[in-house]
Amino acid sequence: MRMALGALSAALITCSLATSGAQAQSPADGYPNKPIRIVVPFAPGGIVDTSARVIGNELSKRWGQQVVVENRPGGNGFIGVMATVKAPADGYTLLMAHTGEFGVNPAIFPDVPYDLDRDLVPITMITEAPMVVVVNGTLPIKTMQELLATAKAKPGAVGVSTPGTGSINHLVLEWMNLNTGVKFLHVPYRGGAPAITATAGGEVPAGKAALGSAMPHIKSGRVRVLAVTTAERSFVDKSWPTLIESGIPDVRSSIWAGLFAPKSVPQPIIEKLYGEIAKILQMPEVKERFAAGGGTPGGMRPEAFAAAIRQEAASLKKVAVAANVKPE
Amino acid sequence: MDILSNLALGFGVAVTLQNLAYCFIGVFLGTLIGVLPGIGPVATVAMLLPLTFNLNPATAMIMLAGIYYGAQYGGSTTAILVNIPGESSSVVTTIDGHAMAKQGRAGPALGIAAIASFVAGSIATLVVALFSPPLAEIALKFQPADYFSLMVFGLVGAVVLARGSIRKAVAMVVLGLLLGLVGSDVNSGVIRFTFGIPALAEGISFAALAMGMFGVAEVIYNLEQRAAERQVVVGGIGRVMPSLADLRQCIWSVARGTGLGSLLGILPGGGALLSSFAAYTVEKKVARAPKNFGDGDIRGVAAPEAANNAGAQTSFIPMLTLGVPSNPTMALMIGALMIQGIQPGPQAMLQRPELFWGIVASMWIGNLFLLLLNLPLVGLWVRLLAVPYRLLFPAILMFCCIGVYSINNNPFDLFQLVVFSALGYVLLKLGCEPAPLILGLVLGPMMEEYLRRALLISLGDPMVLITSPLSAAFLMAALALLVSIAIPAIRTQREVAMKE
Repeated sequence: MRMALGALSAALITCSLATSGAQAQSPADGYPNKPIRIVVPFAPGGIVDTSARVIGNELSKRWGQQVVVENRPGGNGFIGVMATVKAPADGYTLLMAHTGEFGVNPAIFPDVPYDLDRDLVPITMITEAPMVVVVNGTLPIKTMQELLATAKAKPGAVGVSTPGTGSINHLVLEWMNLNTGVKFLHVPYRGGAPAITATAGGEVPAGKAALGSAMPHIKSGRVRVLAVTTAERSFVDKSWPTLIESGIPDVRSSIWAGLFAPKSVPQPIIEKLYGEIAKILQMPEVKERFAAGGGTPGGMRPEAFAAAIRQEAASLKKVAVAANVKPE
Repeated sequence: MDILSNLALGFGVAVTLQNLAYCFIGVFLGTLIGVLPGIGPVATVAMLLPLTFNLNPATAMIMLAGIYYGAQYGGSTTAILVNIPGESSSVVTTIDGHAMAKQGRAGPALGIAAIASFVAGSIATLVVALFSPPLAEIALKFQPADYFSLMVFGLVGAVVLARGSIRKAVAMVVLGLLLGLVGSDVNSGVIRFTFGIPALAEGISFAALAMGMFGVAEVIYNLEQRAAERQVVVGGIGRVMPSLADLRQCIWSVARGTGLGSLLGILPGGGALLSSFAAYTVEKKVARAPKNFGDGDIRGVAAPEAANNAGAQTSFIPMLTLGVPSNPTMALMIGALMIQGIQPGPQAMLQRPELFWGIVASMWIGNLFLLLLNLPLVGLWVRLLAVPYRLLFPAILMFCCIGVYSINNNPFDLFQLVVFSALGYVLLKLGCEPAPLILGLVLGPMMEEYLRRALLISLGDPMVLITSPLSAAFLMAALALLVSIAIPAIRTQREVAMKE
């Protein structure tokens, strides 16, 4: 499958090179000639909204067209995604979404109104940030192994805060439970900020948080990082081990934000968007913006991005089924 | 002396021409949206957030903060004049404030609201400047059990809000709790009573319910009256400024409101919301001659207005010092900082002192602007009531619709508005008051969440509710309040029985 995709993309690149030489008429030639709308299925603030604004701001500077971010929060992201799916596929309505809409929702909801392959085209990943496993700073627990040992001694009694039932953080916690045979107590909150505050204040001993939301409490020493959830260590602090290095096999996950378009947007427009955004993601000030929240810039090609999402969705689905995670 | 140099730094930031201008824009917009029924600070901050993208962080925060506390000023205006609470914090202001307006005392009601807000805002800003770090520590010490018991106290207090029958007030609280059950359960993720409508997964829209039950229901009720009786202001406009006697009567109410608001404001997770309710409840219990409460007692406006403004200022404490939002607007402001690449928290305060102290200094300036802006405007707002009702009511309905829609950009919220307008009208006819219902709706889900979390963490041991000293204290206070409500009620019943 991946080879076929590679061949296809190579063909497309050759194709686009050929056409640019021949100055042929393409749907991308006049694009954009009116304002572009980026739908964000969340309230302003946070990784997805920030991604949309950073990219939108740069695109409008480069293309001389306004890029408007439209926040359509609610309904687990269904409302915002469906607003994009139903919009005209002309490249003037785009969607900034994250792990939750395409990795988590299909894993935990019996009926998701959209389907990635049927309704949307991924353009590229904008940014990706690790989650961290943290403990309250006053506890004597210094490593992931010690946390696992504590939980093993008291099954189901060591609390881990997450931003909610059915959040990516929750799924990764269940994944850890499955692959280690240790049972943590899941303590869900409403949102990342209250969850990490609970661990910082000592209400819950441990937490599974996005690196960005945990950052202020990590710096003040209220929480201690035991591991990052990504396959590689984070640039923020190279001394934090990954979960896999800490002896938890296979568990790797991240929180990413990416740009999507409705399914039948002409390929040249997708390529034009991808090309410009890939350049934007290389800008030092853009990298810096994402780095502040522990994120690294994305920029992978549309096909690679689609494949990565599919792979992630498949692993999360297995976890959700095995752990019987129900949606919130 | 540290504080003086910090404040000097802060004023240095806040008193630049640009920041003064943005502070003014913020409080002006805040007042405006506060006055327009429906459009609250959450929607406005959300809409203006993109504009702050290219401002420097201090300027952006000064403007957004101005919108937030400016809306607390403006919100009282609609609550008093047309009986619509724009925010949950101005629900109690409708009780005595609108009663005053109906008696032709809209002027003094608006005047005292502005003055009480100014005094409370200025004092609470001092609290923010002097005690932020230690108060933030207190906020962190609050455990789920403590929050739960605080909410229980709040709910018992809701009964005190009632003007008439206690039985009806209890019924309204219960109805509010039931409506609060709609939506997804935070622990198990089970979706309750949503009938397959995704928009209900997050629960019933507070704005739709408040607009419908107060504003639209009132409009329908008014339209029923004959044209001549439909005048909202009875007998002319009256004097605008509160009299000296009014002011003297309110001094302690404002002081108590400020104290309560400042304390509750720092609690992330519902504290700020409770402040105006708590202030009203306390006032009704401790003030001399409390029987006027509910029929246009000026202290019933002064205390909650002082409390909600004080709470609005101190709710910046957890946000600025810990990066913890105490309400949805604060969450948006954290978002605004994050868009700027700043993670609010203890570090931000040390590394960017100009940001923290600049915001603090701007709050004083902003409150001063608000006083100057609002007192002369009182006459104007009151005159608005003299507009013929056939012109006023379509405007009210239109703004309610815009306001409700603008929160989530979801048409379904308008259907909710229609349903709650009808329900509100029926309840109005039955003599049931919506204020306790709203408190039930707001507190119910939080109460459940905190209780279940407390039990989850204690592995099912209910004793945590008593072993935590804070929680035990709140429960005792709730019990005392309950007894003090029940005894007079029982006594009057017995007296009635004896007479027969």
